Amino acid sequence: MAENLINEESRKEKFKLAKQDSTIHDTKFETKPVTYLQDCLRRFAKNKASVVGAIILILIGLFSIFEPVIDPKNHVGNNDFFTSGEFRDQYFSCAKPKNALFEGTGFWDGTEVEVGMSQTNYKFKKFNDSNHPIIVEEIDEYLPNLPDSFLNDPKYQDKKQYDVRIDTYAIGCQELKISKDVFDDLVAYEKENGVFEQKDDGSIMKPLVDYEKYLSEFETQLNLEEYAQTDSLISAMRTMYIQNPSYYFKIVPVKTSNGVYSTSAYTIPENDDGTPVDIYQRDSEGNLVYYEIVDGSYKIRVDYYDYFTFRAGIEPIFLFGSNKYGQDILLRMALGVRFSLMLGICITLVNFIIGLIWGAISGYYGGKVDLIMERFTDVIANIPSIIIMSIANIQLVGNDELKAVLGAGGTIVVAIFIAFIYNGWVGVAGTTRMQFYRFKGQEYVLASRTLGAKDKRLIFKHILPNATGTLVTRSILMVPSIIFSEASLSYLGIIDFENSGICSIGAMLNEGKAAGLDKNPHVLLFPALLITLLMISFNLFGNGLRDAFNTTLRGSED
Amino acid sequence: MRDTKATLMYILKRILLMLLTLVIIFIISFMLIRLLPIPDVGGVGADQEKFMLQQVRLGRMQIVNGEYVDIPIIQQLFNFIKNLFYPYYLDEETGELVKFSAWGMSTMKDYQTPPEVLFSNLGPTILLNLFSMLLSVPVGLALGTYMALKKDKWQDNFLGVLVMILISVPSFVSAFLIQYFLGFKLQWFDTTYELARPITSLVLPVLSMSIGSIAGYARYSRAELTEVLTSDFMLLARTKGLTRSQATIRHAFRNSLVPIFPMILGELISLLSGSMIIESIFGVPGVGGLFINSITQKDYDVFQFVSIFYILIGLVGGLIVDISYGIVDPRIRMGGEK
Repeated sequence: MAENLINEESRKEKFKLAKQDSTIHDTKFETKPVTYLQDCLRRFAKNKASVVGAIILILIGLFSIFEPVIDPKNHVGNNDFFTSGEFRDQYFSCAKPKNALFEGTGFWDGTEVEVGMSQTNYKFKKFNDSNHPIIVEEIDEYLPNLPDSFLNDPKYQDKKQYDVRIDTYAIGCQELKISKDVFDDLVAYEKENGVFEQKDDGSIMKPLVDYEKYLSEFETQLNLEEYAQTDSLISAMRTMYIQNPSYYFKIVPVKTSNGVYSTSAYTIPENDDGTPVDIYQRDSEGNLVYYEIVDGSYKIRVDYYDYFTFRAGIEPIFLFGSNKYGQDILLRMALGVRFSLMLGICITLVNFIIGLIWGAISGYYGGKVDLIMERFTDVIANIPSIIIMSIANIQLVGNDELKAVLGAGGTIVVAIFIAFIYNGWVGVAGTTRMQFYRFKGQEYVLASRTLGAKDKRLIFKHILPNATGTLVTRSILMVPSIIFSEASLSYLGIIDFENSGICSIGAMLNEGKAAGLDKNPHVLLFPALLITLLMISFNLFGNGLRDAFNTTLRGSED
Repeated sequence: MRDTKATLMYILKRILLMLLTLVIIFIISFMLIRLLPIPDVGGVGADQEKFMLQQVRLGRMQIVNGEYVDIPIIQQLFNFIKNLFYPYYLDEETGELVKFSAWGMSTMKDYQTPPEVLFSNLGPTILLNLFSMLLSVPVGLALGTYMALKKDKWQDNFLGVLVMILISVPSFVSAFLIQYFLGFKLQWFDTTYELARPITSLVLPVLSMSIGSIAGYARYSRAELTEVLTSDFMLLARTKGLTRSQATIRHAFRNSLVPIFPMILGELISLLSGSMIIESIFGVPGVGGLFINSITQKDYDVFQFVSIFYILIGLVGGLIVDISYGIVDPRIRMGGEK
């Protein structure tokens, strides 16, 4: 011990203070300071699932903004063909999803398989003078309850059943009355393509059908037979022809065993070569008649698909199919999600502001103020918003004066706002109140108060910034819940967007319900998938945000 | 048990507060509903006359110079309260007192009283919710326990993602998918409710309702159990010689049930209210469907009664959840000061 001391003593002159001549200053940090937001962002970026959620959300947002801009179907307002001002046509009601790339593959090409079609139905669809065959593929023909060896037996011909693939876009011919201008355009177009007054070769105008002549012939024949119910039979047949302008051939009612003609079951007489007996309108020289002037307008019979394409300038191809009214589901999805998102964000903002103020006052002042305010929110929160929605809906939507000012859509939006705002803010108020209770008793607040800070400063500078994270997360998660509630209420029919010009995802789900899940699943499927995607990505995003704003997690995961 | 008295006082206080809230809400909704224009029911003739006469008896309208005129709403409220305690009117033809319902009558269901209509719809709703609870609680808890035991292993991660997706998928979407694939495509079950087969035709609605709750229970019980599993008393349990499964079942699982049990209890109460969406999709003639129909068909008396029923259930449910927290977990002191 003593030796060591001596040793050190002896070495003392060998030591020298390193910074003997320089004064020491505080040096600046060479690293950049991490702000609160940067810290949150860093932690958010680490959570891969939330990043994916955020990206999907951005993509959905971009889709909702740009799809309606790009889509030509959204810009037909000045085309006088669409009297409603939007791209819709009843004839293309519930068309199946079709992608031009998949034409003829049987998948995503607008076709559907129909099983067990009767012989008569099959022929009604098979004999078709339009440019687009309705039956694109015959999958199978068979006799129910009989072996296939009887297929060629003439006795069973009319018992045959078919499994066929049908093109849902091929809707055959329609009889129209059009103005002279449109007719001239059409004729010019057909002459240009060399198909004017041609029966086939892709012509739009098809020969007119003179079913009245055939009906009177048939009536004469019935009278010869001294048939009792001639009038009702003929009128049933006339209805048949009027409802189906595609029928260019003779139809004969089936005679039942007791000698009475059926008014609903028909057969199609055929020529020797298997073609039906046509009843086209012919002039005195026996030429086919393609148009007729009735009361100043032109009566024509057209291949509707090609006529539609000619008039609209857009081929009716619906990537995700069409709904009951023949509107494009893809376009409506974009419009619907845009409306839903906007609604969700606006209502959340309003709720957030009201809730923040309410909760801040209630939480900060506490005591009697808090008690009274809490009772008030108790009452409000316990009235289900579905009740308020129904009442607001009945009161406002039925109000014609309001409708005149705001329009049908505006009235519904106001009703939705009332229903969602009236107690939507209660949750935010509760969270804010809790945060205030948490922070207002802490020492730093007390210190600030001691130094003379006013209530306003304490609330906005000291307490609120600490509560931001929780509140923001809560509010972000409110957006999907509002979208979901709106969708449920529209689906249930409590919010009714029909004829209001507004499209929401919920309204589309309601259309899907009306279209029938078994026959037209696509009307419901695509909007349902979109809202699911929206919900999942919002949840992922919200969860990530919650962790990101939670500063107590800092460093624990590194 | 020196807290018993305090607890009872607290419960009593809560019940009184609840009743007060209920009365206020009732008055608000009564006024809002009475503000609605009285619908034209049954067009003209006997039905219309019967309906109007009933409105007069209920004290909602009066006959002035042979025309039916609305009574002020405050007056209607007092009339309603009077009718509630003295539901009789004097039949002028026979001179007898006839009993009637202060709640009015249903216009869509042959002039039954709203309570009758509601109770006739309760059966399918209770059945549907009961089955779905019986399915979702055990499955959800089992799933959550499994995930907690396999925490951070691939099973947990996989199930975690699945649970997250199932929670996010809106109930009507999962219901549609189930209805489409199991009902229409595979044709295993009835796609809509059939009165003749009340059990088998409920399979799809029960399944649709359970999916979301299973995921909810799984997520919740996993979170609770993982927290309990890391606590000190679990270490003690292991050191005193219990096997892992013994410690998990006897100590961890029971403790993790503390916050879950009130949740289940709350759901048991809301069993009566039913799910409007599921009932509407599968055509179950339950309370939810009745509520929707009463709105769309403007049957306001039924609408009002079902609304009050819903509000009552919501309040009672909340109360029971709150109280049961204290009963299940003695560490929580009810009504404790902050």
